Amino acid sequence: MSNFDDKLAQHISEISKEKQPERDLWRGIELGITSQQGDASQDDASQDDASSSTVTSKQWMAIAASVCLVTVLWFAAPFAFKADESRSDGYALIDAMSMQQQQQVNSLLASYESTTALTEDWQEQLKELDDAADVIKAALKDDPDNSALIKMLHHVYQQQIALIERVHAPKWQQI
Amino acid sequence: MVFGNKSENELISKAKKGDKQAFRSLYDEHIGRVYALCYRLTGEKGMAEDASQEVFIQLWKKLGNFDGQSQFSTWLHSVTANITISYMRKQKGWVQRMFNLENSGINEMPAEENSTDVDLEALVIRLPERARMVFVLHAIEGYRHEDIASMLNMAVGSSKAQFFRAKQLLKDFMGVDDE
Repeated sequence: MSNFDDKLAQHISEISKEKQPERDLWRGIELGITSQQGDASQDDASQDDASSSTVTSKQWMAIAASVCLVTVLWFAAPFAFKADESRSDGYALIDAMSMQQQQQVNSLLASYESTTALTEDWQEQLKELDDAADVIKAALKDDPDNSALIKMLHHVYQQQIALIERVHAPKWQQI
Repeated sequence: MVFGNKSENELISKAKKGDKQAFRSLYDEHIGRVYALCYRLTGEKGMAEDASQEVFIQLWKKLGNFDGQSQFSTWLHSVTANITISYMRKQKGWVQRMFNLENSGINEMPAEENSTDVDLEALVIRLPERARMVFVLHAIEGYRHEDIASMLNMAVGSSKAQFFRAKQLLKDFMGVDDE
């Protein structure tokens, strides 16, 4: 072994095995794994109902109700947001999205009240998606204009709707 | 440290069941080593941070694959190396970046004075990408050239050649004359 190899080996043995990142990475990781949990919940529901693609009459009613709600919110939002001018426009949009989502979930659940769900743990899955949405909303409070977070929140909300629809669609109505 | 009195196995077992707090403790315990490897492989702080996040997000999914036959830190290290290499490949223009770096002006960089106080990490970061990755995996992390060849999708001879090149460049950087 040459002198240089010896020196190099010595430098390598002295090199630190650890190095701390300059920014906190946990927050992004937590968002990532929470989002994964949401995806997994939806996958579980899909396994029970892999071929579900039919929209039932009740679902049409729910969709129509949602469209009406969006329209109302579209016109009402500017007035509602004026009440709290200290918040940014970005977060007001998140509030509107969340409110709309809650209404849509409530109307869907009401429409499926008499239908037996295909899985027993769907409410748990719905709660996991709720938790995911809460984490994303908390992050949005600090960064309301972050389009990636807004997209993520929108995706979680879509998953909630899809989950409710899939677990409640009777098998005989599926193609 | 969040680790407290809980044993690592207990934390792993809890994290496998979806306990995020336990997973956070594993993160706190291992982020230093994971980030160090990511940084040395990528050679960029921002990319190393992104790759470290990717490692832990993937780890959350893959934790079930850990069978306890080896040390968790050894297994995590191997997962980190593979995910980081795969992450680097996925980055847009990876081949281009590699090509550019292979031809970057490394020779224009000033050589260190022939001093005993050498910041090896800073010199390793200056190496061209392939030479750096091979050097980090072989000399610092202890992987065999056969394993590196498979990880980096290159011939075993190429891995050895890149290692030789890395050593030559480090010799230049340190201002050591050929013996």
